[in-house]
Amino acid sequence: MPKRVAIVGIGQTKHEESKGHYMYHETDFEAAKRALDDASLSRGDLDTVIASGWDAIDGRTLSDMHTCMAIGGYLKDSSHAGEDGIMALVYAYLRIASGLFDVALVAGHGHREASIDAVTRVVFDPLFTRPAGRNYIITMAMQANSYMHKHGVSKEQAAKVVVKNRANGARNPYAHLDSPVTLEDVLASAPVAYPLKALDCPPESVGGVALILAAEDVVRRITDKPVWIRGIGWAIESYEMGDKDLAEIPSLAAAAQRAYKMAGIRRPLNELDLAEVHEATSFHELMDYEALGFAKPGQGAKLIDEGTTEMGGKLPVNPSGGSLCANLFGASGLVRAAEAALQLRGDAHGRQVAGASLALAHGLSAPSGAAAPTNCVAILERG
Amino acid sequence: MTQEEEILIMPGAWNLPFRHTAGRFASRFFRELRDNKKIFGVRCPECRRVLLPPRPFCERCFASIDEWVEVGNQGTLELFTICYVPFLGLPPPPIATIMVKLDGADGCLSHILGGIDLSDVDKAPELVKIGMRVEAVWRDERKGEIGDIEYFRPVKSSRRA
Amino acid sequence: MARRVAIVGVGLTKCSSHRRDVTYPELVHEAVSAALADANLKAKDIDAVVYGSMDPFDGVFALERWNVDACVGAGAANMPFLKLTTGGTTGGSTALGGYYHVTSGMFDVVLTVASQRVGETLEAQLVLNTAIDPIYERWMGGGAITVVANQASSHFHYYGTTEEDLAMVAAKNYACALNNPYAHLQRHLTVEDALKMRMLSWPLRLSDCCPSSDGACAIIFASEERAAKITKTPAWVRGKGQITDNYYIGDRPWFQDWDGLTMLAQRVYKEARINNPLQELDVAELYNAFTIQEIIECEALGFCEPGKGAELVRKGVTDMGGELPVCPSGGTLCTNPIGATGLIRIGEAALQVMGKADKRQVPNVKTALGHVWGAAIGFHVLMILDKEKP
Repeated sequence: MPKRVAIVGIGQTKHEESKGHYMYHETDFEAAKRALDDASLSRGDLDTVIASGWDAIDGRTLSDMHTCMAIGGYLKDSSHAGEDGIMALVYAYLRIASGLFDVALVAGHGHREASIDAVTRVVFDPLFTRPAGRNYIITMAMQANSYMHKHGVSKEQAAKVVVKNRANGARNPYAHLDSPVTLEDVLASAPVAYPLKALDCPPESVGGVALILAAEDVVRRITDKPVWIRGIGWAIESYEMGDKDLAEIPSLAAAAQRAYKMAGIRRPLNELDLAEVHEATSFHELMDYEALGFAKPGQGAKLIDEGTTEMGGKLPVNPSGGSLCANLFGASGLVRAAEAALQLRGDAHGRQVAGASLALAHGLSAPSGAAAPTNCVAILERG
Repeated sequence: MTQEEEILIMPGAWNLPFRHTAGRFASRFFRELRDNKKIFGVRCPECRRVLLPPRPFCERCFASIDEWVEVGNQGTLELFTICYVPFLGLPPPPIATIMVKLDGADGCLSHILGGIDLSDVDKAPELVKIGMRVEAVWRDERKGEIGDIEYFRPVKSSRRA
Repeated sequence: MARRVAIVGVGLTKCSSHRRDVTYPELVHEAVSAALADANLKAKDIDAVVYGSMDPFDGVFALERWNVDACVGAGAANMPFLKLTTGGTTGGSTALGGYYHVTSGMFDVVLTVASQRVGETLEAQLVLNTAIDPIYERWMGGGAITVVANQASSHFHYYGTTEEDLAMVAAKNYACALNNPYAHLQRHLTVEDALKMRMLSWPLRLSDCCPSSDGACAIIFASEERAAKITKTPAWVRGKGQITDNYYIGDRPWFQDWDGLTMLAQRVYKEARINNPLQELDVAELYNAFTIQEIIECEALGFCEPGKGAELVRKGVTDMGGELPVCPSGGTLCTNPIGATGLIRIGEAALQVMGKADKRQVPNVKTALGHVWGAAIGFHVLMILDKEKP
């Protein structure tokens, strides 16, 4: 029987345009320190640490030599998910559920030291795809266009997602972009890759995030406000974009089904109190609604039209403002889990969803955009 | 298959630009090299070790650091090798890479050893010894980078710290 | 107590300086197919995949994405998939990842895969050097060879180890590799030959250093219930762990010893209830990327006192017919597809326990040790495998 696992400490830095006064691994350090302080723990209480992020984005192969030290890993059993930080959470969960570790710290960071466009180009295989001009944002745009075309979704409907998230982000002190925008602002913003406009795309932010996970036997010694991981699922999908229907996100649907099954959730729209989803673009948040079972295929935009996912709606999505307001490329998924956990503790202040007790956190680990993304879904519950 | 098929090799290259943030710790360290020819370490408030290169936190104590300590221009060579093969993008051989424990520091600085003829593979290891005293040789034109110390060279006198 | 876990299948590829005969997904498919065949399993039997590689030797960033469907069609089937990367220890970390997937209770049969095509880069040291902090240290060229040469010069200085000792380690491993059809370097080397090799970084000569290899490895881990049904020869995980030492090597310049490995060995021996490793282990697959490291590893792992590692070699203790054979496969010294190498060490240890090591088999192996190092000599992974259920 796996051990039950809870989130017992949460730490984030302010996410922003740059942090010139910081060395590369200081965002991890600040986030880890904050998470330890939040849990009233010290480095000595940690049994294992899991770092995350893409080495090529960091410009340092073996980035965990730096980051594992920055998150308390000295002489400890550590590892490094070469993925978005949400997958470090997955690995820490597995280690604790095993009963072999009691307390784990997971962390992630976003930097702007690399050209993400250039690095995500070399994810593509050098034989067939790379010469055809692909990178992260171009594949996401192709996916958005496929979705728009198949289901008759409009650019205005996608723009409403931006308006909603930017309004939410204005109430989040950690957010990078903290000013609201109008529908007209979004539609008039500079074209990036059809159908994406500048404001449909997340910013690139500098910041760090860390979570502390603990086994059920020690949780109560640490906190009286644990956030339990009730369900968790993750899945990858094929690399060849020609093999797939780009209007769907099958890995997210598979991840959600596993997490729902584990948590005993049948009707997510009714049972969940909020969701923090990792929207790759504004269009993707609508696609996420469908893959997560909040809406039927092709019906995602209805939720934004009807206000279902606004603050005050039936299922607020991204009260934090989502990755459209702060985007750590390599840890935005873990930020979603941190934000969902803050909500369940009642610590989300100006962006709090009243009385939240069950939340969904979604993380996207996609170095190559729409080619072979991994999606992870965690169901979190107030303890 | 009667005839071996021709296998093609596709050329590839990454040219990825990066801008690495030095942050306030490395920036101050490099400014001191450039402006004052001084080498600074930092002291951990808990274990009291003087660490080089300067860093914002001590990995062992997990404490934030804010105390700066000037260390000597001279120190003891703790480790070395002499590399004889050229590597793309690295300085030309022969090159003696060393770890030097500067006077007043608890950790070592990574640098190179100069002022010695390393070309004879058999003789060179006799000229470089663990435990030998070395000193920094400064460039006249300093840019605020680790290369402002051109290299370390053996201290002429036999004076020991 | 956590769930018991066993290795039930191992798949290796032939390694060479450049596997020009296969694309990357084909190379990975070769390893995965071999592991499935070894365990007599089908793709549908796999519950989850853990993939290890070290970017960016292959010239493809996040290369596991390109290879996802070569791993039992994991992409098409939307399987759980996790990428781990910890430099030279990547393969060891990948094995640990597979192990914890099973102990968690969420999965019963987990495929671990690790690969690297070092042959696709024209200058591996340039890639390795990007591991070094770009602010303070990268400019002076801290590739692996110079860091390890420091270990050797330090061991020579403090313990009196000699170039002849290193040459004996090289000759022993080269001879073993001739028994291993998957090994990269396959040629005779005498001690005299080794001492005439070109000096690369004093005191390491060409024969003291591993080659750069293309290769992949796959290992299948299974829960106790499933392992019993899959194979009659499981290799049970009896002890395991990882340790992370400080990045700044200037903080720990005492390279003649390997304190981090000693500390990890103490932890893992305690878990496995091993008191005298020299007597209780039957074979060890060590990550001897350089000859000097096999000597220091034997000391740090407690096979002998500190400083006495060279004596083990001189006395033949670690030869194929010795008391504790080290690297019957020829070790990392003869084959190094970097991110895959750690998984190969553990796979070779498993094959010895399973009795499937063919010409390189040590007779009557009950307990085997796999070791992996990485990260500017700061990280280690150990895994102890046993014929008997722990």
